[in-house]
Amino acid sequence: MKVISIIAYNTFREIIRDRVLYGLVVFALLLIGMSLALGQLSFQEQSRISANFGLTGIHLSSIVLAIFVGSTLVTKEIDKKTILTLLARPITRVQFLLGKAFGLSGIIICVIVSLSIVMLFIFLNLNMAIDYRFFVALFGIFLEALVLLGVSLAFSSFSRPILVVSYSVGLFLIGHWLESLKFFAEKSENISFIYFSKIISNTLPNLEVFNWRSLPIYEESIAFSEVFNATLYSFTWFAIFLTITTIVLRRKDFG
Amino acid sequence: MEILNVKNLRKTYVKGFIPKKQLVLKGVSFSLQPGTITGFLGGNGAGKTTTMKCLLGLAFPDSGEVEYFGQKELTSQIKAKIGFLPERPYFYEYLTGMEFLKFYGQISTKLKKHDLNQRILSLLERVDLIHAKDKALRDYSKGMLQKIGLAQALVHRPEFVILDEPMAGLDPDGRYYLSELIKETASEGTAVFLSSHLLHDVEQLCEHLVVLTGGNVVYEGLTQKFLESMNPSIDISYVDSGVGKTCSVPKGEALQLKIRELLKSNFDIMEIKENKISLEEAFVNTALRKDS
Repeated sequence: MKVISIIAYNTFREIIRDRVLYGLVVFALLLIGMSLALGQLSFQEQSRISANFGLTGIHLSSIVLAIFVGSTLVTKEIDKKTILTLLARPITRVQFLLGKAFGLSGIIICVIVSLSIVMLFIFLNLNMAIDYRFFVALFGIFLEALVLLGVSLAFSSFSRPILVVSYSVGLFLIGHWLESLKFFAEKSENISFIYFSKIISNTLPNLEVFNWRSLPIYEESIAFSEVFNATLYSFTWFAIFLTITTIVLRRKDFG
Repeated sequence: MEILNVKNLRKTYVKGFIPKKQLVLKGVSFSLQPGTITGFLGGNGAGKTTTMKCLLGLAFPDSGEVEYFGQKELTSQIKAKIGFLPERPYFYEYLTGMEFLKFYGQISTKLKKHDLNQRILSLLERVDLIHAKDKALRDYSKGMLQKIGLAQALVHRPEFVILDEPMAGLDPDGRYYLSELIKETASEGTAVFLSSHLLHDVEQLCEHLVVLTGGNVVYEGLTQKFLESMNPSIDISYVDSGVGKTCSVPKGEALQLKIRELLKSNFDIMEIKENKISLEEAFVNTALRKDS
């Protein structure tokens, strides 16, 4: 565990010292700032528009982090050959992978937390009620980012970053359209489309499960069991993708 | 006990769009003793780096056996006894020299924070980088990176160090300091396995050699014996009817016969001198012999 935490800390430090992260945070802050301006345009729905925009900003930045940074997390170590000195040390390939994944997860948490602090100030400014729903929405964003981090890590174990990003974005879009796909399959009479829909729904992660961003906006309620199941769902997919990555990396020659 | 015992290591790479097999190691065998500095020689593509990667678990051999400290498995405990400096070191450029050594020290030793800091500072002194300890590695020159790389390989006091081209890119001063550090490390009982194309440095540093050509070990043993095996010639200078002459004869029986012949002919022998062959010449001869 000590080795994993040291690698995770180093990964965290690597991303923190990268300018790309700050570009992303500035983008998210602009989006949140814009939410205030756009909210002003609406007479009655100001707080809802602001909350919607703000949460979308946090959601997008965490997804971009998971996909774009995740796609180069391992390949960068291989391309720059830093992996050679690292794996020559008392570190297993699984520990290396877990360290990298936890390091980026830490960054995603930090970005979500820091952007949500900005959001909280905006909520306070708009006299919006802040309750558990806001934090559940943020937790859902993190769970989705975790699954996508697993996806990009798994793809990066056998593909180049540009393709990894394409595959991951594809999976992100499919993951959000699965509910619609199921809906159309139910209405469809085409047998092959129904089977295709079933296969896709059962083999790919459904990312709409984590979409709780409407909770604080429309003051909807959510059962604890739903949050618990979604957490389990996210961790399971993350573990599946990490296992795939480990299997590929286990017998890979580096050099 | 041997530090390392490599037996019949074979490795094939599959490369290209249409997969083509390339046998890189064709049964490499050699062993290393504690406290020795062994030079690992071979031309480009001979299989040196591949051998090193197989030893470190970075590449998987097709067949063969490697014993580390008498054990057949490269466990974390064994890895903790090994240090490695790769060829053309690429390091985490966002780290400072101090952070970099701390990172590698923390993952390789159980030293307490204070002791590890002391070890790092003393290593930085030894590689003459104490002034750059708080500088990011991206601002280091190639020579400085080579030095910090060596410090990284030694930070956990390994019993066995693998150095791939440690002198590359260093100025004469740097090479001298690094040579001294390598000698000092070996004198503390660490086995050093060093690959280099700078054969003059290898000749000065290494008492043992493993010579690799085309994926095969063509020589393993003492450097001195390797040089002697090249049959260096002996120049005999003598005076023949007032005229100074020189002839070259191979070492051994031919030399004795030639001396007897000259003495019998009443020539005055002025000088008998051995033509010392450099490691570079010896290596080239070996490679050429193997090629032919």
